[in-house]
Amino acid sequence: MKENLFIQAARRPLGLAAMITLGVLYLVAIFAPFIAPYQTQTQQLQKTYHPPTGLTWQDGRLQVKVYEQVDPTVYEPIPGGAAPIRFFARGFEYKILGLIPWDRHLFLVEAPERIYLLGSDSTGRDVFSRLLYGAQISLSIGLIGITITMTFGFLIGSLAGYFGGWVDNAAMRLVELLMAIPGLYLLLALRSAFAAHVPSDQMYLLIVIILAFIGWAATARIIRGMSLSLRQRQFVLAAEVLGQSTWKILTRHILPNTFSYLIVAATLSIPAYILGEAALSFLGLGIQEPSASWGLMLSQAQDSKVFMMNLWWLLIPGAAIFVTVIAYNVLGDVLRDIVDPKMKVQSR
Amino acid sequence: MKTYILKRFIALVPMLLGITFMVFVLMSLTPDDFLTPIRAQPDVDERYIERLEQEFGLDRGPIAQYLLWLGNIFPLHYDGEAERWWQRIGFQVNFGYSWTYRVEVTELLAQRIPATVLLSLSALAFAWCVAIPLGVLAAIYKDSIFDRLTSILAYAALSIPEFFLALIAVFFAAQTGWFPVGGFTSLDHEFMSFPARAADIAYHLILPAFVLGVGGIASLMRIMRSHFLDYLRAEFVTAARAKGVPEGWVMFRHVFRNAINPLISMLGFAFSGLLSGALLVENVMNYPGLGQLVFQAFLRQDQFVVMGAVVMSSVMLIIGNLLADILLAKADPRIRLH
Amino acid sequence: MAFLYPVNFSKRDSLMGIVMAAAVVLTGCGGKITLEREVHPIPEDADRSVSAPGKPGSVFVQSSPGAPNTFNKLVAEDAPSSEAIALLMDGLTRYDPVREEVVPGLARSWEISEDQKTFIFHLRRGVLWSDGHPFTAGDVVFTFQAIYDERYPNRGAYDLSVDGEPFEVEKIDEHTVRITTPEVFAPFLLYMSREILPRHKLIDAFEDGSLLRQWSIGTAQRTPREIIGTGPYRLRSFRVGERAVFEANPHYWRADEAGQRLPYTDFLVMTFVSDQNSAMARFANGETDVEAITPDNIIWVERTAERHDFTIHDRGPSTGTSFIWFNQHPGSDANGKPYVEPHKLAWFTDQRFRQAISHGIDRDGIIEGVLFNRGTPLWGPESPANTRWFNPDVKQYPLDLARSRELLREAGFDWDARGRLHDKEGNRVTFSLITNHENPIRTAMSMVFRENMQELGINVQVQFLDFGTVVTKIQSSFDYEAGMLGFTGGIDPSGGMSIYHSRGRLHQWHPSQEQPATEWEARIDELMLRQLKTLDFEERFAAWAEVQQIMSEQVPFIYLVTPNAYAGLKNRWNNVEIPTMGSVVWNIDEIWAP
Repeated sequence: MKENLFIQAARRPLGLAAMITLGVLYLVAIFAPFIAPYQTQTQQLQKTYHPPTGLTWQDGRLQVKVYEQVDPTVYEPIPGGAAPIRFFARGFEYKILGLIPWDRHLFLVEAPERIYLLGSDSTGRDVFSRLLYGAQISLSIGLIGITITMTFGFLIGSLAGYFGGWVDNAAMRLVELLMAIPGLYLLLALRSAFAAHVPSDQMYLLIVIILAFIGWAATARIIRGMSLSLRQRQFVLAAEVLGQSTWKILTRHILPNTFSYLIVAATLSIPAYILGEAALSFLGLGIQEPSASWGLMLSQAQDSKVFMMNLWWLLIPGAAIFVTVIAYNVLGDVLRDIVDPKMKVQSR
Repeated sequence: MKTYILKRFIALVPMLLGITFMVFVLMSLTPDDFLTPIRAQPDVDERYIERLEQEFGLDRGPIAQYLLWLGNIFPLHYDGEAERWWQRIGFQVNFGYSWTYRVEVTELLAQRIPATVLLSLSALAFAWCVAIPLGVLAAIYKDSIFDRLTSILAYAALSIPEFFLALIAVFFAAQTGWFPVGGFTSLDHEFMSFPARAADIAYHLILPAFVLGVGGIASLMRIMRSHFLDYLRAEFVTAARAKGVPEGWVMFRHVFRNAINPLISMLGFAFSGLLSGALLVENVMNYPGLGQLVFQAFLRQDQFVVMGAVVMSSVMLIIGNLLADILLAKADPRIRLH
Repeated sequence: MAFLYPVNFSKRDSLMGIVMAAAVVLTGCGGKITLEREVHPIPEDADRSVSAPGKPGSVFVQSSPGAPNTFNKLVAEDAPSSEAIALLMDGLTRYDPVREEVVPGLARSWEISEDQKTFIFHLRRGVLWSDGHPFTAGDVVFTFQAIYDERYPNRGAYDLSVDGEPFEVEKIDEHTVRITTPEVFAPFLLYMSREILPRHKLIDAFEDGSLLRQWSIGTAQRTPREIIGTGPYRLRSFRVGERAVFEANPHYWRADEAGQRLPYTDFLVMTFVSDQNSAMARFANGETDVEAITPDNIIWVERTAERHDFTIHDRGPSTGTSFIWFNQHPGSDANGKPYVEPHKLAWFTDQRFRQAISHGIDRDGIIEGVLFNRGTPLWGPESPANTRWFNPDVKQYPLDLARSRELLREAGFDWDARGRLHDKEGNRVTFSLITNHENPIRTAMSMVFRENMQELGINVQVQFLDFGTVVTKIQSSFDYEAGMLGFTGGIDPSGGMSIYHSRGRLHQWHPSQEQPATEWEARIDELMLRQLKTLDFEERFAAWAEVQQIMSEQVPFIYLVTPNAYAGLKNRWNNVEIPTMGSVVWNIDEIWAP
């Protein structure tokens, strides 16, 4: 059933395009250490706000232009100056997939020259490398968050619908409570309440949990409705009569019948997680330096210098968020069309 | 209907109690409080800090603080005098004082509301004025290039994060100089004539309203298009055409009028977002509305301001949902509220 | 005016043309918008400015990062509020930052008694409040009454008292006031620059208990004229979250030699911006007349200097300090767990260890990398910016890894084969450093520090926390190892009591001690009290200079660098005298533009 759904989606051009885009994004995130020429925190204080380095074809090989610092943040290419790009060169050490240690990188230039495909930021860190590492955080937060949300949403929603009575009542009041607080306020309140008890390098986890905590309510409400009607159906009643345990009924009968809904809802709500993390980090309340996330990188772009000096490359993380979100939205829509075009799923 | 509304309002009370209690507990879990910045200043006497802790009730436990706050906001006031008692009962919501400003929270919120309402309404108007015609055209010319183009644009508009769009708008304004870079009025606003003042405010409103409205356009347009398509195929439309009613009249009287009905209920949801939807945009674009105030209050832990803002937006949200239900019931006689 | 680039009007429709033309008039030449000034006789005791007479008119525009929270001096805790109130009101004395001395304010002169505890102030005659009501001794007495009143907790009550005992304030006649301090109180005259409140306006609120709620931003928005003072300006309008417009106070008590009443400027506009960055952007666009420019932003701000006719003035080192310190608190938490692990506490309390760390820091590298070569290394608590109180003869710790290693060896530390530092018991030397993430310069400095320590074989983990969390850790939970913060410097050493005195809250390496833990801390306590309890500058300086020396010797705070201060100012302003510290336009009433 699950395979079917995605294969069906892949047959539609829009669905295929979205899936390919997402596939590429996740691959890039997984192999970030290999593709990225530098680490996220490697600073180069002599090269702050370096513009993207231009590429030239010189001496029969691909080279990067070499720049001269005219002013601490103004650079001009040196005519004729170039540094060759070396592919599969040795750089900083890392572990492929977190397992196999390696030090080869897709491309590098000879130090002290640096390759800045997308320019550098206020401390001379490579925006391209940070973008790749940022993808790890920004992309995984959606997946992990949605898994937690869907699990809780399903469990609470189906139990409430299945048992009814006070369980249902209590669960639904809690859902209504959570849904009646404007999301961003709740996000801010939760974040400030727990941030101090979490070391800054584990902020990532905290944010996932907070986002999931806010998200499960909507799913639970809909699953409850579905399981409410499912429990009146013949096969559930039959299973009850046969004396199957609640757990079995939930997993064997209710889950399969709500699964396609869960998939569509998950796909359409992942953007909310990506945007939630980005918004928090953008406000300086999310992922902390020196880690990179797209929202955090964008918060740097709020600096008026960026507007005054036309440092457009610092806005690129926004484009990355945009592409990811659009791909998820398109894929979600395609899946919804396949499952049930009339289905109501809240996105955003 | 009346009893339904009454019921919903009564259900509001425990809900608000739950919400405020939760927010209060969350706020008291933070290790720092409103006085932290004062504690960090070298030239402040310790006794002064203790005195302020007493003043603000920060030396008490969170439950006691919450009860104090509750006692404070209770809308019915009666001073206990028996003489002419009916004149002595006052109905007044009192959210307490802002610690930062020493101003009543209600007044503080009231100062900011006009700018935010203006912004939200303009964004709403902008979204509707663009989305409805686009949705109708996309439905009429279904599968044409225009339809494809608008649907792609709709995806784009739906997927662009508000704060990123705001950043780009500021960047755009800074690079071209065509629009002011944030703010609500020009420096010499008060020296202008009345029409110039209005123009000044409108001019400052363009970019933020656009940024805030774009997300709404996409979803509105998609809904409009699909409803319009539904009614295009409806039997009574075919019947009207068969009767020889002019095409334009069919489109307006039979299709458009029916298709737009369910959209009216969206106004209810729009109402709920009126005051709380613009926090990020206001902060990026330096727009002096509620969002700015509330965010600052959150950071400063100005407790009563945060609580006031949370209560207000939750009430707006709940009333907005109720409004949406009622409008939906009005628009669609098949739905009954109970 | 909120446009970043000058625009060609003809290309735009007329509506926007009107708006923009009007905006240009205000910020540009100041020709059209002028104030019809009320003419009132100049008081007999008016202060005559010695600066060259200028021409009245023109508008001064400045931005303020953050808006005033209040116009009530008893409530004000933040810089924007204090700044706005200072424009509206005056104290008995004023501080002249160029000559670095206290000069007469609302008091024309004063006498000091033999025992240095009693001051008799002679108030200027004929001074009027901005609503025309006469200013008298009653206002001074009322101000102190309000400050000391139990119902109105305000920091003035604690600033203006010695060990909790308030000053005695008596009215001798309508224009004479006697103030007696319980002990000799060194910064007394400086503190007398605190703004005097109008009795006739606030007495009712004082009586009915609502004094702290007066003169809020609500008052400012609805009835700006109700906020009255004796200052150079009065409030004309206040727009929440946007700006305050001040206009010349027609009753101001200062005039120039030509008999022209000050201030020269008709209007002063204070626009509220979200942060220092946007303030600088506005200045670079020619929208404001003055702005403090931080070292990392000079390059791009400078680019428009010619177009908008401004100059960036180098003011030398700023007053702010930044430092790293180790937690030397020997106590334990409620569960009996020591705040600092005992072996680490042994390192941190070892003077040689702290000196070695200080020698291992590349301050020049920080200045070059983080401050774009626009900074000054710091070795003691006083920045060289405070020329009056700075002691240049303190112990310095230039980058010297050899000396650093020598000190560590002396203290029993050693390195293993891989160059990692261990103490005598074989513990690897690592510690975590907390700092707040809101300050980008500080986060960059902490990164450089981490790299510097690697050279010594020390592993530092930097933790970025919310400012509030950092403060909680250093003041109440004490569960951290090292920290990095900074202070903005003050004028007078008496402001540092809570930092340097061992009982102080901000004696961060070991705060709120019952008895000084070490001899040198005891000595500092003694010196800090000595400088507080005399009016004699020489004696005070000697004490404070020794404190600076001990601090540099013992390095409880490892001082880092101070960024240099730069001030951007439009060239059209005359009579400007830029002091080394404090506001650039401290004499706002004297400056004028043609």
